[in-house]
Amino acid sequence: MRHTRNVLAIFILSLLLTGHTPAHADEKPVRMAYLQNDIHHLAFWVALEKDFFRDEGVSVEVAGIFRAGPEIMTAFAAGALDMAYVGEAPATTAVANKAVDVVAVAQVNTEGSALVVAREASGMDSVADLEGKTVAVPGHSTVQDFLLKKALSKAMADKQADMGKVNIIVVKPPEMIGALRTGQIDAFVAWEPYPSKASTLGIGRNLATSHDIWPGHPCCVLVSSSVFIGKASDRVLGVLRAHVKATEYIGAHPEEALQIGVKYTGMDAKTVETAMKNVHYTYELNVEGEKEYVEFLSELKYIKVPDAGAFTERFLRPDMLKSLQPQ
Amino acid sequence: MAISLELYDLTKMFPADRSSESVVVINGFHCRIEKGQFVSIVGPSGCGKTTILRIIAGLESATSGQVLLDGKAVTKRDERVGLVFQEFALYPWRTTIQNIEMGLEIKGMAKKDRTSAAMEYIRNFGLDGFENRYPKELSGGMKQRVAIARTLIVNPEVVLMDEPFGSLDSQTRNDMQDFLMDVWIRRKDTILFVTHNVDEAVYLSERIFVLSERPTRVLRRFDLDAPRPRDRTGEESNRVRREILNLLADSKRNLFQSV
Amino acid sequence: MKWKRFLPPLVVVAVWQGLCLLELIPAFKLPSPVSVALGLKDLIVVGMPPGHPLQTHIGYSLYRVFLGYGFAVIIGVPMGIAMGWSSKLRDAIGPLIEMVRPIPPLAWIPIAILWFGIGTPSAAFIIFLGAFFPILLNTVSGVLSIDKLLIEAARTLNATNRDVFLKILVPGSVPAIMTGLRIGIGIGWMTLVAAEFTGVKQGYGLGYMIMTARDIQRPDEIIAGMLVIGVIGLGIDWGLRLWERRLIRWR
Repeated sequence: MRHTRNVLAIFILSLLLTGHTPAHADEKPVRMAYLQNDIHHLAFWVALEKDFFRDEGVSVEVAGIFRAGPEIMTAFAAGALDMAYVGEAPATTAVANKAVDVVAVAQVNTEGSALVVAREASGMDSVADLEGKTVAVPGHSTVQDFLLKKALSKAMADKQADMGKVNIIVVKPPEMIGALRTGQIDAFVAWEPYPSKASTLGIGRNLATSHDIWPGHPCCVLVSSSVFIGKASDRVLGVLRAHVKATEYIGAHPEEALQIGVKYTGMDAKTVETAMKNVHYTYELNVEGEKEYVEFLSELKYIKVPDAGAFTERFLRPDMLKSLQPQ
Repeated sequence: MAISLELYDLTKMFPADRSSESVVVINGFHCRIEKGQFVSIVGPSGCGKTTILRIIAGLESATSGQVLLDGKAVTKRDERVGLVFQEFALYPWRTTIQNIEMGLEIKGMAKKDRTSAAMEYIRNFGLDGFENRYPKELSGGMKQRVAIARTLIVNPEVVLMDEPFGSLDSQTRNDMQDFLMDVWIRRKDTILFVTHNVDEAVYLSERIFVLSERPTRVLRRFDLDAPRPRDRTGEESNRVRREILNLLADSKRNLFQSV
Repeated sequence: MKWKRFLPPLVVVAVWQGLCLLELIPAFKLPSPVSVALGLKDLIVVGMPPGHPLQTHIGYSLYRVFLGYGFAVIIGVPMGIAMGWSSKLRDAIGPLIEMVRPIPPLAWIPIAILWFGIGTPSAAFIIFLGAFFPILLNTVSGVLSIDKLLIEAARTLNATNRDVFLKILVPGSVPAIMTGLRIGIGIGWMTLVAAEFTGVKQGYGLGYMIMTARDIQRPDEIIAGMLVIGVIGLGIDWGLRLWERRLIRWR
């Protein structure tokens, strides 16, 4: 019995020690993250390169570069991030499943993904042709997973094919092109610039773009942990201002933005240029789009949210953007 | 049918290596055993008695000299020679009857025949009721009886025994000697029996070779006439025993003196 | 009474539940035992990803493990006996084995995908690597540990090399082989989750299930999945021990 007591004591002690992290001092930089080679997050890279954050009086550090949205949400849950550029779908899933408490303070982009098949593949001309094939997505409950399922359910509704027979697997985007080339998968859905890269390499071609599947759909958002807004709302606003500035900068200086995109993705200019054409950079939050995410994710049983409207109101914070108005 | 065994000028030498010089273990050993005889080899520890048996059994080779079976020289393992080990060497995963059958199994005999042959040995050797037990469940004496049965069941023409009762306590040892005597009287195998126990040799054998310390050679040969089974304290037994013990003591003294 | 053995784990679970109720540990960091139990129910009824129930995941994982493990046994045991028998073979192959053995199976994942593609073959290969070395090395050791006297005794009974191999080496090394088999399946099953991280085309597998639960932020299902893996591993080991006891009655 004494042995058990000692084991218990150690167990409890270690849990308590890891359970709480002390509040950060204000001098520490804002810990932010983005997705690897995700051209959607160009505004963040522009703001970093042009020192927009410093202009707004905020110091920022890149605390992580992740391979897919769900990983960023796990990092939030572990208390490792304050703000991040991330897909709206994984963020919604994480919040709805009560894994994290974050809110979206700005849009980052709409559209900007594509469904890619092998260039040589014959008989693959529409989504219906994916029946019986294997399609890769970056993760479950990512925006791309969502887009694929939306496209499939439309094809099914049109009674063109039995979409239950499509094999959806998870492959990290850097590995998708190789998997397509070697025939391990028949198609993939990824964020730009991966579809464009597949195209310039001559390995893949777009079967459908975001615009084809769901025009104007919201894609990535800038989120902040609620705890962080509570502690440092002025710094959140500073980041927000820099984000708005950077987003507008992309529209005004596409050439320079392209160079920055090349730098952060390590891909060639032609690929990045094609990719950027597929992405629409904007900071206004799309409320209807978010509601649709919530409803669809509930349908897929990834989350249990009976009132999509109420959830959206809590999750999206357009009020923060509005407070920036007199700029 | 038993045959004769002769060892002629047998020599065994271990060549020099990094740690020691070359060692001559056996130096020109002669002996002859007629068929049906029970012959013992007695000698101090380390004098190579076991090596002699292993050479005859084909498990080791002699440096020079000859082993003659029935007058003809043999250089490798011959199936007419059987060997009983001091440590029993029973197969722990085989039952008593399976151990005894081993040699017949190797010969390819049919299961029914094997089993009936083995059961006869089990009955004759007092192992009834233990045929399906594993070696770990047997006493030392029983284990050696199984080992002996295993060797005899294939009817070797020469049976070598390497201190077979060395691991047993003295009471069991005496019982086993009686048992072996009984078996030999019935079957009259040619037996070459190695022991360092003089009493044992005197009790069992009609001829005893007494070996020296290394390099080993025959000190003397004794022939005993008293019929078997013998009186352990008979007059001839006592006399021979005394002489052998003196021989061995002298041999040891010489060894110490020459050192 | 035997129930005393279950006391420590029950106490741990009770304390765990208490800590969660008192909210000393945030729910998303460590779900309470109750929510883990509910998560287990969800895994069975709803599935993760939804529509992929736990039972089917278990089936696919068991299949992959036994595939990889099966190859490890079929190749490892005969090879081990051969290497135990022949010192020449040991000297020739031994160093190669010792060089490959320390490489963790997971480090082979990129190569496995290149050679076998995404799916069951590459997962089974990783599992094979995990199970193979303990099986091989325990078999070799088993053969080497057979008393030379037993082989000599067989020679005096006129055994051929084939007799020695079949009647002595094989039965004599069974205890060591069984140990290798048990260790091998333990490691193979442990490697399973990571092996299935390579991506499984069929969309089924316990590792894949846990990875998806991670994506969907369901730590309760992650832990429920881990418990399932632990229990199955325990069951397999238990089953092997029972078989071993029956096989080796002579010890």
